Amino acid sequence: MFGQLLIAGIVHGLIIGLAALAVTLVFGVARFPNAAAGDTMTVGAYAGFAAHRASGSLLLAGGAAVVAAGLVSLLGYLLVFRPLARRPVAALLVAAIGVAFLIRAVLGLIFGHQQHVFQVPLAWPIEVMGIRIPPMDITLAAVAACALAAAFGVLHLTSIGRQMRAVADDPDLARVSGIRPLRVMVALWLLAGAAAGVAGLMLGVKTVVSPEMGWEGLLTAFAAAILGGIGSPIGAVAAGLLLGVAQEISTPIVGFTYKIALAFAVMLAVLLVRPRGLFGRVEGVR
Amino acid sequence: MEAYLVAIAIIGAIYVLLALGLTVQYGLTGLVNFGHVGFFAIGAYASALISMQGVPLVLSFVCAAAIAALVAWPIGLVALRLRDDYFAVVTLGFSETVRLTITSEKWLTNGVQGIPGVPRAFAGLGVGMPGALATLGAIALVCLLAALMLRRIAGSPFGRVIEAIRDNEDALRALGKDPARFKIQVLALGAALAGVAGAFYAHYITYLSPDQFIPLVTFYVWMAMIMGGVGRVSGAVVGALLLMLFLEGTRFLRDLAPDLISAVDMASVRLGAVGLALILFTLFRPQGLVGDYTRR
Amino acid sequence: MVAGDALKNIALLAGQDRHISAIMSGMHSVHHESAAEPLNREIPPMTTTRRIMLATTAGALAMPQIVRAQSETFRIGALNPVTGAGSPYGSGMQRMIGAAVEAINAAGGANGRRIEVFSEDTQTSPQAAVLAAKKLIEVNRVRAILGTWSSGVSLAVVPLTNEADMILMNTSGAPALSVPPANARGLSYRFQATNDRFGRAFAEIATREGFRRPATMAFNNASGIGNTDGFRRAWAAKGNQNGEHVIYEPSQPSYRAELLRVLASRPDVIVMGSFLPDTTIILREWFQTGTPVKWIIPGWAANPQLVRALGPAVTQGIISVDSVSNEGGEAFVAYDAAHRRAMNQPGTSNVYAAMTWDMAHTLALAIEQAKSFETTAINAAIRQVANPPGEAISSFAAGRAAIAAGRKINFEGASSVLDFDQFGDVTPDFGVFFIEQGQINRRYVVKI
Repeated sequence: MFGQLLIAGIVHGLIIGLAALAVTLVFGVARFPNAAAGDTMTVGAYAGFAAHRASGSLLLAGGAAVVAAGLVSLLGYLLVFRPLARRPVAALLVAAIGVAFLIRAVLGLIFGHQQHVFQVPLAWPIEVMGIRIPPMDITLAAVAACALAAAFGVLHLTSIGRQMRAVADDPDLARVSGIRPLRVMVALWLLAGAAAGVAGLMLGVKTVVSPEMGWEGLLTAFAAAILGGIGSPIGAVAAGLLLGVAQEISTPIVGFTYKIALAFAVMLAVLLVRPRGLFGRVEGVR
Repeated sequence: MEAYLVAIAIIGAIYVLLALGLTVQYGLTGLVNFGHVGFFAIGAYASALISMQGVPLVLSFVCAAAIAALVAWPIGLVALRLRDDYFAVVTLGFSETVRLTITSEKWLTNGVQGIPGVPRAFAGLGVGMPGALATLGAIALVCLLAALMLRRIAGSPFGRVIEAIRDNEDALRALGKDPARFKIQVLALGAALAGVAGAFYAHYITYLSPDQFIPLVTFYVWMAMIMGGVGRVSGAVVGALLLMLFLEGTRFLRDLAPDLISAVDMASVRLGAVGLALILFTLFRPQGLVGDYTRR
Repeated sequence: MVAGDALKNIALLAGQDRHISAIMSGMHSVHHESAAEPLNREIPPMTTTRRIMLATTAGALAMPQIVRAQSETFRIGALNPVTGAGSPYGSGMQRMIGAAVEAINAAGGANGRRIEVFSEDTQTSPQAAVLAAKKLIEVNRVRAILGTWSSGVSLAVVPLTNEADMILMNTSGAPALSVPPANARGLSYRFQATNDRFGRAFAEIATREGFRRPATMAFNNASGIGNTDGFRRAWAAKGNQNGEHVIYEPSQPSYRAELLRVLASRPDVIVMGSFLPDTTIILREWFQTGTPVKWIIPGWAANPQLVRALGPAVTQGIISVDSVSNEGGEAFVAYDAAHRRAMNQPGTSNVYAAMTWDMAHTLALAIEQAKSFETTAINAAIRQVANPPGEAISSFAAGRAAIAAGRKINFEGASSVLDFDQFGDVTPDFGVFFIEQGQINRRYVVKI
């Protein structure tokens, strides 16, 4: 039982981690919690669903999810968040909520409000060391791993990724040293959108695709981003895994309703002890 | 038609009260509280449960405010140690925890089945217009009192301290004042206002269930405050009215152009209209209709 | 599909002229043409976007005109969960009210008057529903509200309809809706069997199928819990032992933990109080655990959509329970055809839509019977047209003819035979369907 919960928690955690990555990238660089991240995930799920229904290929679905979510994310930046760049957090957050509503409305108009389900082949579980693992879990984990590898590859191996991290560390210093902010921001929002898109696709494959699916996972993504330390991609993923596993494993003790609150309890506990989060920089204390 | 307008006005006035509470917390003091609906819920359930034990309404309202303020205290302690954006998410988590607790503790709240038959305010006047108008009058009166109180606070030494907390906390500390106590007081005050709003809500709708107290309500209050103009009492009032105009006004889009949009699509169009309004407002009128008095 | 409609709507929104909208209007359900006329005569032709932008201010001006122009029709409100937790069902429910009204108007209208539908979204939220109901009641001046779905919404709206002396027809499960204070005036009609009845049906079926160790899983809302509680009570009343009981939260990314808890107790059958999305997820996860177990699931969740989503292998052997509808009968055939036209899916994929179709028909027939548009008279006539004895009727046209000839009718609807008890609740028999090779076949009927 414990082993099964652990596996479930890992897959759940990977989804949270990817979503948290999207959140933390924006949070770290643009400095506000992006409430539209959830609905960007939903875009990824729908795009992936449409692609999969047309082609039957999960690979194409992944590509569609990445492209669609990335573009939507970028559009949001160019049209809304960039003009609002120097405003206070609350204004950006409210604008993000507006963007989230708008995305959801458009998706509802195009696809309707009924659920859509990925037609993926279901198979009997594989037994590894006495634990039954559904092959779907393995597929999803592999997808997540690839996505994360790609994301970290961009962040650490490319020059634009280095620039992103520089801007996250210290935007003024970055500008002084000649880093052109617009290019970095475009790359950032594309990357964040892509990560959210993959998370949404995974969630859609695992559950069902509906207009409100992303919005519902938003809070846990925020919690993971903060827990891991704002602006730290590794932190976001690690925190996502931690929260996913904690939520699943704690259910025998905490119950199925309160386990949702567990994410916040864990986040709060860590923040009180270590205000910058697990991997964050020293910035957390007021 | 009039009854509909009165209903909108009552809900609008409840949002005014919520926005006033948030104005004290964010507008005056800079605390980014995204868990406002949690206090709203506590006030609603507290007043409902207490009054259903036979306690007179006025007393249950006071209890609701007090309980909400009490719950704000530990949140305040947390606020001390966290920066804005973290605090926002923590408070969001708080309000969700409140909702989950209401859902789980069936012995107290009847869980998801909800509490029907909450005593109506001014029940003696019946369920028609007289009762509704009396309710509206009562809420409006409380809003007025709250607004006056806020004005006085803003002008008082206490007010100056909390505005200093918002504008430059380090400077304040350098002057030897400890912001901790003030933050907690402000949070409790805002929470008390939200608690009273919750009580009014409970005794108007007369049916409570946990799914009425979702984060979306908090977002609506923020929308109202930002659209009206942060930091001013009049901003809260104007903002709440604007909010109701958007939320309810969009219903009439279809009545004007019925052939264009099917009934089902209307739901999405309304959501999109609200979202668009928010975006446009933040982009083109960031100081809100009345104006932003928090400097920035 | 719906997408086609929506894309056309978007094209319209982008600013094309009324000419197109006139052609399109044939695709949509009955609307207030009479209201549109005065407006367009007074205001010069505008682009669509400009019209929408004037919405809020013009709305206030237009409202008296809307009210005046609608005195020749009988106005009803379609108040359904288009968004929110009920969204899998709400669009279908709303469209079927519209489709039913179209059919009724085509057959001459109720007591000679056309029915006009005003639609609103409850957002599956009591607070939003209250304001929507207020608007329908006070501004659109509807005389009845049809199709509230969640118990929370119905419980919040029924005080308003009672106060306004209006009939409320709902599909909610909560017991509180049958009795005062909610149903103090006898104006509330429930077109879905109460949770309690469903639970007892589940218990009958479990006994008949020879199950010994049932476990229960309930969606955490009033209806889900009501169904499983009803089952557990009935099961215990038969002298049996109840098994593991798990309540799960909506919209979770995984129900593995909940499933494992239930399966750990080794039940032979799991009785669900669930809805379509969560059932989809849970069954899928269950299948991938490889643990054999049987399922008894309510018909609104175990339906063609579920089968299409999961495939024959996963759904093999599932027992789906629903109020008996006469699938061969005229009412269901007509409903099914309308549903396929509007939603591009068989009528069995949304039992609530069948209920709202029946709501419109029952109301229209009651008006016809009462020869009056007053609530009291209509209310008294509802049981007259829906309950036995009487000539079995399954369409409005036939009912109208029979009433005109002075015969007593007994309307049998698409969702059930629609016999209302003293609380306004339907007392259907329950059809027990087995999903085999991707087909949903009715094997027998259970009477409570």
